[in-house]
Amino acid sequence: MSFACVLVPWFAAAAEERCDPSLSEHPMVVVTARATPDPASPSRGRVKSERVKSPARPVVARVLEANAGAREAGVRPGMTETEARARCPALVARPWSDERVNAARLAMLDAALAVSPRVEDVAPGVVHVDVTGLGRLIGDDDAVARRLVRETHAVGLHPAVGVAATRTAAGVAARLGRRTVVIPPGGERAALATVTVVALELPARIADTLSRWGVRTLGDLARLPRDGVAARLGEAGLAAHDAAIGLDTAPFRPYLPPPFWEEAQSLDWEIDALDALLRIIEGVLARLTARLAAVHVLAGELELYLDLVSGGRHARMLTLAHPLGDVPPMLTLIRLDLERHPPSAAVTRVALSAHPVRPRVVQPRLGEPISPSVRDLAAVLTRLAAVAGPDAVGSPRSVDTHRPDAFTLVPFTPPNDVMDGAALPEMTALALRRLRPPRAADVEIETAGHERRPVRVRLHPDTRVERVVACAGPWRRSGTWWDQNGWARDEWDAVLGDGLLCRLVHDRVADRWYLDAVYD
Amino acid sequence: MKAADIIRGGAITEIVGRLSSGRTSLLLAGLRETVARGGVAAVVDTDGAFDPESAHAAGVDLRRVLWVRCGGRRDVALRATDLLVRCPGFALVVLDVGESPPFVSLATAFRLRLAVRRTHTALVILASRHLVGASASLVVETVAQGAEWTGAGAMPRRLAGARSDVWLRRVQGAAPPSPPERWHWQAS
Repeated sequence: MSFACVLVPWFAAAAEERCDPSLSEHPMVVVTARATPDPASPSRGRVKSERVKSPARPVVARVLEANAGAREAGVRPGMTETEARARCPALVARPWSDERVNAARLAMLDAALAVSPRVEDVAPGVVHVDVTGLGRLIGDDDAVARRLVRETHAVGLHPAVGVAATRTAAGVAARLGRRTVVIPPGGERAALATVTVVALELPARIADTLSRWGVRTLGDLARLPRDGVAARLGEAGLAAHDAAIGLDTAPFRPYLPPPFWEEAQSLDWEIDALDALLRIIEGVLARLTARLAAVHVLAGELELYLDLVSGGRHARMLTLAHPLGDVPPMLTLIRLDLERHPPSAAVTRVALSAHPVRPRVVQPRLGEPISPSVRDLAAVLTRLAAVAGPDAVGSPRSVDTHRPDAFTLVPFTPPNDVMDGAALPEMTALALRRLRPPRAADVEIETAGHERRPVRVRLHPDTRVERVVACAGPWRRSGTWWDQNGWARDEWDAVLGDGLLCRLVHDRVADRWYLDAVYD
Repeated sequence: MKAADIIRGGAITEIVGRLSSGRTSLLLAGLRETVARGGVAAVVDTDGAFDPESAHAAGVDLRRVLWVRCGGRRDVALRATDLLVRCPGFALVVLDVGESPPFVSLATAFRLRLAVRRTHTALVILASRHLVGASASLVVETVAQGAEWTGAGAMPRRLAGARSDVWLRRVQGAAPPSPPERWHWQAS
């Protein structure tokens, strides 16, 4: 068995840098605020029945985590923000964000899943990966470690990776400060022997006790009798002893990814301009697609949730013509949808959820026609919908009705039929060009015996009257006579004096004439 | 000349002619040949004149045809055409500009020509007059030669079809043949 531990230290700060990569260039801290009760409360000495609320001190923001730049400047967790700013005037402070930490945690798991299907979610910033059997697929343990680093970089995080025969040993190896550390099988104890106890990040009580005992390295700790450690240091001491010898005591709990992927971002101030909102959505979409790409799935559907300053929520479901993994066409689709259905108030939070679809890999066959790739087709269809309108793009299909010019547009998905290459029979059909809407006309009718035929036509809004040189008809059509939408029309094929070969229609319901189509 | 001859991959073809001259019928014949060979085609319809019923009657497999309806907006039609000719995989893109063709600048025509050359797409422009000038490698003109009627009696009973003369007005790299070809279009 072989395990890897993927560790991202200072995880909350890393989660902030993942959402805003420019923060890595500045000293940055993640702070939280907690109200501290005022010890000199005026409520002291009052009669019990007088319930006076103790006025609290103003909220004090304290440093939870700091990035590398802030730590170099001497900022440490536990400091107040004021003290931290005194040490580092250029400090950038970000409030703790559960959703950013959770999103980064899920992204880290997605990156690990890109390497191995057996992944354990240990804690925010710590993921165990079962890398047993990946030798043939990826390479030796060094190659696996580098692959894990690369996949985690792709989702916006910078990890350290340790590989060993046990998860505990891999976890210690990851904390040694190097990008990748590989402990050969059977060499855990020897490799960990020289590691200082500080690497275990033990509770202060245990660390102080071990320090008084002169235990400096994991080797020293491993040599202590286990019963004695348990009796004097309790469970925490036993855990430290297990770590020193690289022993796993808890079972491996595989992580099951959720059925959908979500990224979210709360905004520092409300946004009501579409362009500014789309820039935020683009960042969220980029992080989401990076996570989807890590596990080799595409987005089949997108759900967009915008929390509004009014307290409401603007929810949109966007169905993609083809599963997509690229940001630009999805962003175009979102922009088009928001232009048509804008939120009713300014936005305070953006959340995007993708329903994953595993792309189907189909091997091209000989004789199969060349057609646009799925990705290219999806991109061009999205752009066409944005340009011409979503209802104006598609493949035409006849509707089962006798009504003329009845059709519908369906999503364009060219079939994959293999052509047999047989020669086509000659076909030279006379085509119609429709006039949509039909053009109103004034038609003069001549009656000869039982027959009535048009003899002169004036097309609105022209004033010129054209003679009907020749015509044939009428072809009588009607339908849905049992309904309010009943229709009935007489059709004439006619040649006008200017050479136009056309179809004139007399609507018998409305008693109006139209130029319906032109033969061309 | 066959209808497939007007569909030239990587080049622009113009079919020009007045209404009822047979230009749309010639286009549908070429469209039928293209999709029957397995190609995927797109029709950019500026004025909404494309008739799926006619196309189906002409033998066009509509499953392989993408129809973009521009609602009379010329700028939308040009932008849609630009998008389609840049997408690899379309065997044929048709731009039907209707009876009020837009102005196509030299730069736009050149850009379209470069794009089709890159993607090896055939771009066919259907118009009442020339639009892209020298960027078209083939210019075909249709001229109406009358309708054909059938039926017993003094007055015609049914439209049988129409006749057109098809002229090759410009063939890049060759002298166009002088006599036109007579085409007969059959009404369904």
